[in-house]
Amino acid sequence: MLIGIVALCVGAAWLVFQPRLLATYHYNQYVISLTHLLVLGWICSVVMGAMYQMAPVALETRLYSEKLAWGHLTFHLVGVVGMVWMFRTWNMKHIGHFGSLLTVGVGLFVFNMAKTLLRVPKWNVTASAVAAGLFWISSGVSAGLLIAVGKCSYDSAEGLATAGGVRTLVGGLRSLAAFMSRFDTLSAMHAHAHLSGVGFFTMLIVGVSYKLIPMFTLSDIQSKRRAAGSVLLLNVSLAGSFASILLRSPWKVAFALGVVGALALYGWELAAILRARKRRMLDWGIKYFLTAVALLLPMTVLAVVLSWPSLPLNAFTGQLENVYGLLGLVGVISFAIIGMLYKIVPFLVWFTRYSRLVGRAQVPALADLYSTRLQAIGYWVFLAGLASACAATLASSEIAARLGCGLIGLCVATLALNVGAMLSHLFKPRISPFMATTPILARPAC
Amino acid sequence: MLNITESTILEALRQIIDPELGCNIVDLGLIYNVTITGTKVRVMMTLTTPGCPMHESIRQGAQTMLLGLDGVVEAEVEVVWDPPWHPSMMTEIGRAATGVGDF
Repeated sequence: MLIGIVALCVGAAWLVFQPRLLATYHYNQYVISLTHLLVLGWICSVVMGAMYQMAPVALETRLYSEKLAWGHLTFHLVGVVGMVWMFRTWNMKHIGHFGSLLTVGVGLFVFNMAKTLLRVPKWNVTASAVAAGLFWISSGVSAGLLIAVGKCSYDSAEGLATAGGVRTLVGGLRSLAAFMSRFDTLSAMHAHAHLSGVGFFTMLIVGVSYKLIPMFTLSDIQSKRRAAGSVLLLNVSLAGSFASILLRSPWKVAFALGVVGALALYGWELAAILRARKRRMLDWGIKYFLTAVALLLPMTVLAVVLSWPSLPLNAFTGQLENVYGLLGLVGVISFAIIGMLYKIVPFLVWFTRYSRLVGRAQVPALADLYSTRLQAIGYWVFLAGLASACAATLASSEIAARLGCGLIGLCVATLALNVGAMLSHLFKPRISPFMATTPILARPAC
Repeated sequence: MLNITESTILEALRQIIDPELGCNIVDLGLIYNVTITGTKVRVMMTLTTPGCPMHESIRQGAQTMLLGLDGVVEAEVEVVWDPPWHPSMMTEIGRAATGVGDF
């Protein structure tokens, strides 16, 4: 999680110093490098780290292997740093090499989580969404690797390909590259992005919120059928979207509408859960998360517009695509993650530091570990920053983009300060003796 | 040695909070039953959500608290899910502290 927060800080700073990345079309090495820094370095690091911690809680089981998780982290770290750097220098061969390391890490993650899922005592909609998410992230990473394979040339390997194993490998990569050349690069890239963005991140937002939102707001799922329907429709529509985006098919809009339908079902169920909640007050973590979910609305409207078959391919459409990506990665996924971080990090810190002290001394509540004022500031500056960045992207204005990214960076700073405050409890616990209101506590328990 | 009563047990358990809700477990209505047999105390309690990650911390904390009381030699804390917890089990103080509406 800490690696993810560092990656987010680097990404925010990058955008502040190079706001033209938002003001120009996204198919260039710098935007792709920044996107991978945010998607792999920030989002994947935090989501996968949180899944190791929270999936056992949400699914009421134990993690299959902690050792595998550490192995994954090593491959992930080397893979992400290498990929981001190589995208920046546009070295496809090394992107493939570092991408392969990242894929090994994702393989370990998927294996570990799949084994964990097999232990789930009672299968439910959250488990189904997590299982689907694992399938889609495997597909997304494989598709990314295939795109890299397709963009490499293998002439330099001619001299090396003498031994049997190397010859077979190079031959296989050549065949894959030939297969990939059938597809338009930009379409393949967009299809790859949707596999990860919708298939993994959005699927997890949907599935996990069916467990965590009722847990945090003291509510229950109101219709299991509706919840399961949203996950099923999202899966079917995503499979169709992937194929139709890749093949530039006019069916793209139909599948985009399918995704809209799935998310509408999700929104309906979420609204019902919130209406039935027993805890009326919503804390800032939940407010961040729900606002991110609400941002799915403009994002899906834009998805339908961009899928329209007769849409002209001009500069404005290109900027609309940038806004779509910005809304998805920063508005929906990142804001949802920040919200969930405000629920997960205090819990992890509290559990590590204070769980063994309960009953021995007065321990703080989770809300005592961070500043709600900083949370509120972060919330509003993020929304102002997102609105500015979207408007700046549409208008291709570098100055406004810098302002928007600066505000988003300010939100990131409030998060970093709060995470620092929470982590400080690990080194300096805040405990106090029990109140002496009664003579019954004759001997201290600790 | 002081005479242990149900009210002294509940008063002691008020020192244990549910860290997510920021309220003590008595005013949350999580304590279902207290049985005192001489120096032995048995508490039956629940949690707000099955699969609550704080489950063992809270149960263990309640037990440690009871064992710290003068006159208690043995303490047993059992977590049960039937009947399931409902906000209507909370006290006025609990509702005010957690922002839960009236039932």
